[in-house]
Amino acid sequence: MTSNPLPGIQFLDPAVLARIGNLELVARTVVEGFLGGLHRSPHLGTSIDFAEHRAYMPGDDIRRIDWRLYGRVDRYYIKEYEADTNTNFNVLLDVSKSMSFGSGAVTKLDYARTLAACLAYFSNQQRDRVGLITWDEDLVEIVPPSAKHLPNVLHALARAAPQRPGNIERVFRKLTEQFKRRSMLLVISDFYEDPGKILDAFAQLRGRGNDLMAMHVLDTAELEFPYDGATSFEDIETGERIPVIPEYLRDQYRTMIRAHTERIEKLCGDQGVDYWLFDTSMPLDYALFAFLSRRQFLTRVR
Amino acid sequence: MSFLAPLFFAGLAALAVPILVHLTHKERKDVVVFPSLMFLSRIPYQAVRKQRIRHWLLFALRCLALIFLALAFARPFLDRPAAAAPVRSLGARELVILLDRSYSMDYGDRWSRAVAAAKRAVAGLGGSDRASLVTFDATATATTEPTADQGVLTAALAGIKPGAGATRYETAFKLAQRILADSKLPRREVLLISDFQRVGWDGRDSPSLPAGTTVNQVDLADAKTSNVAVTGVDFRRDYAEDRERVAITARLVNRSAEPRAGHPVTLELNGRAVETKQVNVAANAAATVDFAAVPLPAGTTRGVVRLGADALPRDNAFYFAISRGQALSVLVIDGREGGAPRSLYVERALGIGDQPNFRVTTKRLGSVTASDLAGRSLILLNDSDLPGGDLGRRLVEYVQNGGGLLVALGDRAAPRDRPAYASQLLPATADAAVDRSADRGGTLGYIDRSHPIFELFSAPRSGDFSTPRFFRYRSITPAPGDEQLARFDDGHIALLERKVGRGRVLVWASSFDGIWNDLPLQPVFLPVAHQMAKYAAAYADERPWSIVGQVANLPSIFRDSTGPGDAATKAEYVAVAPSGERTRLEGTTRRSVELREQGFYELQRAGSRGEPRVVAVNVDLAESDLTAVEPQLLTGAMIARAGADSTSLAVEASTPVELERRQGFWWYLLAAVLLLLVGETLLSNQLSRRIAVPR
Repeated sequence: MTSNPLPGIQFLDPAVLARIGNLELVARTVVEGFLGGLHRSPHLGTSIDFAEHRAYMPGDDIRRIDWRLYGRVDRYYIKEYEADTNTNFNVLLDVSKSMSFGSGAVTKLDYARTLAACLAYFSNQQRDRVGLITWDEDLVEIVPPSAKHLPNVLHALARAAPQRPGNIERVFRKLTEQFKRRSMLLVISDFYEDPGKILDAFAQLRGRGNDLMAMHVLDTAELEFPYDGATSFEDIETGERIPVIPEYLRDQYRTMIRAHTERIEKLCGDQGVDYWLFDTSMPLDYALFAFLSRRQFLTRVR
Repeated sequence: MSFLAPLFFAGLAALAVPILVHLTHKERKDVVVFPSLMFLSRIPYQAVRKQRIRHWLLFALRCLALIFLALAFARPFLDRPAAAAPVRSLGARELVILLDRSYSMDYGDRWSRAVAAAKRAVAGLGGSDRASLVTFDATATATTEPTADQGVLTAALAGIKPGAGATRYETAFKLAQRILADSKLPRREVLLISDFQRVGWDGRDSPSLPAGTTVNQVDLADAKTSNVAVTGVDFRRDYAEDRERVAITARLVNRSAEPRAGHPVTLELNGRAVETKQVNVAANAAATVDFAAVPLPAGTTRGVVRLGADALPRDNAFYFAISRGQALSVLVIDGREGGAPRSLYVERALGIGDQPNFRVTTKRLGSVTASDLAGRSLILLNDSDLPGGDLGRRLVEYVQNGGGLLVALGDRAAPRDRPAYASQLLPATADAAVDRSADRGGTLGYIDRSHPIFELFSAPRSGDFSTPRFFRYRSITPAPGDEQLARFDDGHIALLERKVGRGRVLVWASSFDGIWNDLPLQPVFLPVAHQMAKYAAAYADERPWSIVGQVANLPSIFRDSTGPGDAATKAEYVAVAPSGERTRLEGTTRRSVELREQGFYELQRAGSRGEPRVVAVNVDLAESDLTAVEPQLLTGAMIARAGADSTSLAVEASTPVELERRQGFWWYLLAAVLLLLVGETLLSNQLSRRIAVPR
């Protein structure tokens, strides 16, 4: 019998990580981090975490000389500090019941969890502080961002279970008070909500100066609607049933879902929110690589 | 192409089912769980668009399966066998139409169907074909000679009706065999029109038809039959105050799978209904009906037991004729006066039994007068001397005129004092008796069991003749013509028969008194005494009825009234059949009449004005069992016996039912339905999987 030493470690796909290993997840806005050269921070100065002393060399900033030590040993020493974690990277993962849908072997939630885990790990490798918030119609679990919280994040991802319907507007209103510092926020959801309401929710977070990314995860069946034969369709969240003859509705449905995603993408673009539609039939490494590459490109352009 | 049951085409209405199924789009029971209905619920539900058939292949499979199923149940067949056309061009044919006219053909509409089938066969004759019509029951008759004239054949058919006989197929095929063997035409054909009763064929003696003969058949048997028949009657006679009464019991059988309740049974005597009873007969069971005893009038009484109507009327009436006077009058002469009577055992033995009833009168020799001999059936000289004088002469005349004489030779029957006429009646007898008391008595060493007296004991364990011990007996010397019926173990004659005129004399070499032997104390004594008395008195069991097909021998029937000698055989007779047909029997060669009709035959000597003798005739009740044999079994037997060179023999059907049964298209249609349903199952499963699993 085998057991994972760390709950949630199964969401770290080595293939995915290898594929995106040479990329960077760079904040497109000024975030409250201290990593030199990677994210632009609103704070100037040094880190507060002491690491070691070393002898003064000509050219060193004389403000970094430790004068107290000079008073004791009559030699110039420079104080070295650990490099600061640059920013908070928070994943806002939708765990509403609609995320439990999957026409194939992988549900949307599984796909989203892997996505979140990989990016959290990736971000943690960049010494960002990683946190996780799962939500449905309310906040479900909160893992505060920290450089040491990757295991907690993975654990929380493993525990996440879809139980209730989702309500992005109410949850994000609550979250506005949650973030004291500007952070990178990654929202992963299937966004079964009116695009206007979604963007209203995003706007509340964007207003706090957060860098917002939206990952729209949908199953292939939701995009293509491949059903056949008259049957009843049941809403996974509300239990409501309606009779449907899929072959007659397929074209209309596809038009509507396409219009829905395009509407969200357009509104996100207007708000400066990175939006990416993930089809669960798409290989995760390929999808993530495409997302990060595009984000890097947009960062350089800016 | 025709159909046996075209009403089943109504089943094509079921085609509406797949059409409705394909148009309705029955909602599947499994529900598709979907993340959100926010888009689906915005699309209006368009019921009108459901009226379109999808899955045309599946729809076609279902419709074809239903069409084939309806076709199979409609039982299609080709009107004319495919083989018939080429055969027609092979040349002229000799057709023998075997038409069953046994009384079972009266069942329902069998006869009309039989005649119609025969007419169809006649109408189908070609210009050079010939046909002959043979009717048969137990016997076969060629109603027409082989002819090409359809008019002759049709006219012959019009004059035929079912008879009262039973079916025998062998006779019909033998006649057909002879007709076909004489034919020079290249093709030979037999058309058997019958109800194929099992009782008509015992599986043996099937005649061989000429090689190359085609046997066609028209099976008229009904799948389900119902028949109740009277199978016989029993009589119980009793005598009270010189009046003879008879109680009649009728036996019925129900040959059907359904019970009969309250079935009326009527007893008619001399044309008058005496009593009617309601009887319940269980399915495939027998029952009896007891009628109250009635006094028998003088002369012959004609009786009929009639049942209520059913589909086969012939076996619903059972005819019988009974008359009085079945008691045998016996005069026992018990020696001379003075000695002890020795007739106790024989009187008691003859006093038992009613078939026949013995009316025994015992007298001493001295008290017997000539008038005592009148009307006697039997005179028993029980250890007595022969009467002398006029009585002796009367005794000889009595015997010569057909009377019976039984003589027991005990110690009182002294041979030395016999009168002169005695040698006519009795064989020579030694004075001294043979004494076997020294060796504990002798036994009977030989018995002629083929003689009517001892025939009754010919079966195993039916009479032990080894136990009686004979201590003394007379030694008899037979004369030429005397017949030795039994001998003692030392070779002496025990029982001897002599025919005197029309009468019979039986001589028993010992006594019936239990002194010279212990025979009266043995169980075998009673039946032996009865058999001796019946034989000596020439008693014949009354035959209350005969069966159709039997022969009435008139000289034997009128023997008692035509006087001695061969007067009976030279007389002329008139027989009147139940249908009124009169037959005059003249000459010495035609002395019997075949009983072909059911009912009462009246037989009378020509010129006589007395009461006619009545013979009741019933149908053979084996024929009332309507169980049919498989026609192919019967005709197949003909084929098998025709030998290995009869490969051209074929059994073909003529009726639509037979044609359809032989062609059996419905099997193929059902097989096609099965294949279509398998294909439908596979296809619909595949489609269901496609529907259930998103592509």
